[in-house]
Amino acid sequence: MAEVRIEHVYKRFGKVTAVDDFNLVVKEGEFVSILGPSGCGKTTTLRMVAGFEQATEGEIYIGDKCVSSSIKRSFTPPEKRNIGMVFQSYAVWPHMTVADNVGYPLKIQKLGKEDRAKGVGYILKMVHLENYAERYPHQLSGGQQQRMALARALVAQPGLLLLDEPLSNLDAKLRESMRFEISSIQKNLGITVIYVTHDQSEAMAMSDRVVVMIDGVVQQIGAPHDIYTKPANKMVADFIGLVNFMDAEVKGDRVFIAGTDHSFPNTAGVEGEATLAVRPENITMSATGGMITGTLAHRFYMGDSVDYRIQVRDHTVRVLVKGADLDEFKDGEPVYLDFDKVMIFDRN
Amino acid sequence: MLSRINSKVIVIFISVLLLLYFVIFPMLVLLYDSVIHDGSINFDNYRSVYSQDVNWRALMTTVKLSFLAMVASVIITFPMAWLVGRTDLPWKKSFRTLLVSSYMIPPYVGAIAWVQLLNPSAGYINNIIKWIFNLSQAPFDIYTVGGVAWVLTLFYSPFAFITISRAMEKMDPALEEAARIAGASPLRTLWDVTLPLMAPSIAAGALLVFIAAGSCFGIPAIVGMPGNVEVMTTRIVTYVYMGDAGGIRDATALAASLMVLANGLLIFMTWMIGRKDYTTISGKSTRPNIVELGKWKWLALCIVGGYGIISVVIPIGSIVITSLIKTMSRPVTFSNIGFTAWEPVITSAQYMESIWNSVIYAVIAACTGTALSLFVAYLAVKTSVRGRSIPDLLTLVGGSTPSIVIALALIISFSGNFGLNLYSTLWVLVISYLIKYMTMAVRTIAASLSQVHISLEEAALNSGANWLRCCKDIIMPLIAPSIIAGWFLIFMPSFYELTMSLLLYGAETKTIGVLLYELQTYADTQNASVLSVIILVIVLAGNLILNKVTNGNVGI
Repeated sequence: MAEVRIEHVYKRFGKVTAVDDFNLVVKEGEFVSILGPSGCGKTTTLRMVAGFEQATEGEIYIGDKCVSSSIKRSFTPPEKRNIGMVFQSYAVWPHMTVADNVGYPLKIQKLGKEDRAKGVGYILKMVHLENYAERYPHQLSGGQQQRMALARALVAQPGLLLLDEPLSNLDAKLRESMRFEISSIQKNLGITVIYVTHDQSEAMAMSDRVVVMIDGVVQQIGAPHDIYTKPANKMVADFIGLVNFMDAEVKGDRVFIAGTDHSFPNTAGVEGEATLAVRPENITMSATGGMITGTLAHRFYMGDSVDYRIQVRDHTVRVLVKGADLDEFKDGEPVYLDFDKVMIFDRN
Repeated sequence: MLSRINSKVIVIFISVLLLLYFVIFPMLVLLYDSVIHDGSINFDNYRSVYSQDVNWRALMTTVKLSFLAMVASVIITFPMAWLVGRTDLPWKKSFRTLLVSSYMIPPYVGAIAWVQLLNPSAGYINNIIKWIFNLSQAPFDIYTVGGVAWVLTLFYSPFAFITISRAMEKMDPALEEAARIAGASPLRTLWDVTLPLMAPSIAAGALLVFIAAGSCFGIPAIVGMPGNVEVMTTRIVTYVYMGDAGGIRDATALAASLMVLANGLLIFMTWMIGRKDYTTISGKSTRPNIVELGKWKWLALCIVGGYGIISVVIPIGSIVITSLIKTMSRPVTFSNIGFTAWEPVITSAQYMESIWNSVIYAVIAACTGTALSLFVAYLAVKTSVRGRSIPDLLTLVGGSTPSIVIALALIISFSGNFGLNLYSTLWVLVISYLIKYMTMAVRTIAASLSQVHISLEEAALNSGANWLRCCKDIIMPLIAPSIIAGWFLIFMPSFYELTMSLLLYGAETKTIGVLLYELQTYADTQNASVLSVIILVIVLAGNLILNKVTNGNVGI
């Protein structure tokens, strides 16, 4: 299994910088997701690791081999990198059977017919397609094609597995079960994985660490829990999960919600203008008393929870209460809010 | 409601009847005539026609030429399509236009140009090479099988180029990337993935070239006949020109074989690309997977550019220069250039009448054809009446039949034998153009109509418009570009049509194509060049309008 090092990598397309100074070390056997909105440069980064794009600047190492270096002017083509990859479109070859598709990497390695059949049989069993070996891709469902693509990526026992939004073409139920399946296969094989997605729950559920990338820049690298509870900046907080933002001002060692005398300790050490952020599930609401007063504007019944909109001066604050009774509060009534786990950011 | 269904049924009924009468009936007559000998059904006509060495050789030469043009077209256009579609070749867009533009030059104009360039006695290129290398003999002789194959390849390879590059654009690049990541080199990927996946499209493009080359008359007539290279189409014309019953009988047998061959291959091709095995789930975002050529960029540029220059720029240049030479016997110098040759052409009443005839017939064909196409396309795309796509299919059959076959079928069916006598009238010409070219307009309009989702009509009806109002306010504005495109797609090939006109024209209905062909065969190269330039200018203007109207989506 291979460690991957990406050092000061830039990718420019003309004047546009798609990837700006990307640095990451993926340890052996680690599952790292690159998470970001579409067009943030995450796929470009993955394609540079795969060898489909050449980095404008910087170096990429897979194991102890330097596969791409702008200084040494060296570049290893994709076929010499010993990588498995699953594409968003699966990219299964329609003119080959399942067995031929999956066995192709072994065929390239000039393995004998018997060894090939053994390898293919083993990996097809792992993805539960052992009874489909002689079928053609168009006879398989989307989920089966997906697993076949995974089998093809793993059959040659590569040191590194790259996954490019592999689940985005599947329906919701199948997506969840595939998440679990990919995770367990990765744990079994102990393979190093880089996983690109725009779906934060996918990234959170599967990864050891998450790289949040926005506008070509890495905003934060950390464990899923850290990313969620301690976002590095406003952009990350906004992108991950739901969040209420409020303008705030720093006075002394406390941060005041603009226009009020409600304040919180300045844990972030921000100066001047600040932004205060709190997640909807970290607000407690009561009819009797609390830190901040507001008026209940709307309620939305969500089944497992109730989603409230509270008017606090010129802010609309969103509050999410699990298992609440819809009629506990009524529209237009005054309510009191208590904020917990408040995050403070520099406003700019 | 009842009356609307009835009117639709009536429209279908009439259009099917008309198409059956003018498209299918003549072809059946042709087939039937070909197997009638001495009053009984047998294959004696075929036996007698192919027992003559000249006809058998013509058949073999046709197959050989079509095969050569097909193979050469694929070998040339596959790398071109890849370079233009999948690499960072500079000026790709211009090259794409250049590579398909020999498609809009009438084939016989191309043939005239290449005769000027490569004829053994005074071809421009031959002269230049003779002068450079101080040769006593011309290095090339265009009047050979190789020469005909060369011109056929240049003029019909766009069929292959268009088909192949479309398939290449549609293919998910991840399919190739998956092979690379599996360890295959770029060449191995080409062999294991790209070529097998493209095979149906390559074969389809190749067959289109094969059929077009085999059905072509202008190029073998102008390039082949002087060197006694005879093909099926030239034999048919020779037999028809003999004018007696025996000639028509032999021509019929030859034409029927050509028709069966061409339409049979087309049916085979449709079946082949219609197989569903090759459909795949494609990614939601197909990102451009552009191969960086690096140091090969300039070599690739030279190859593609060189081919563009050879296939389009040089022949057009040759025609233009020839039309501007003052004295043909003197070398091409600035003092020998001028519009001297143009004056007699432009002032000739005879020439102008032919040009005028062509314009009028093409306009009549285009207007009638567009109106009919609108009906046919609407029926096929927007209604659910049983048999709605039959008219569409009939126009397709007409379009895929070799021109020479259509012309001969019209002669034997509408010369009074079955009541209607259209011989030597302008109507037989217009009908032949409609049969051959209407399918292009139907395709274009149908494609555009199918883009107008039914909900747009429903929204208009919902807003209170009646159906006619909805057609006027919603459908027509949305498909207007395709109607104009359809008009030009009939007008332009009808305007410069040669093959059918040559068999169907009468004393009063000579067209520009026929005139040009006569001038070339009487060795009046210069007047032929002047007329060619006039045709090219009109076709170019038509294409510019077409491009403007459809934002570059449709062109000849």
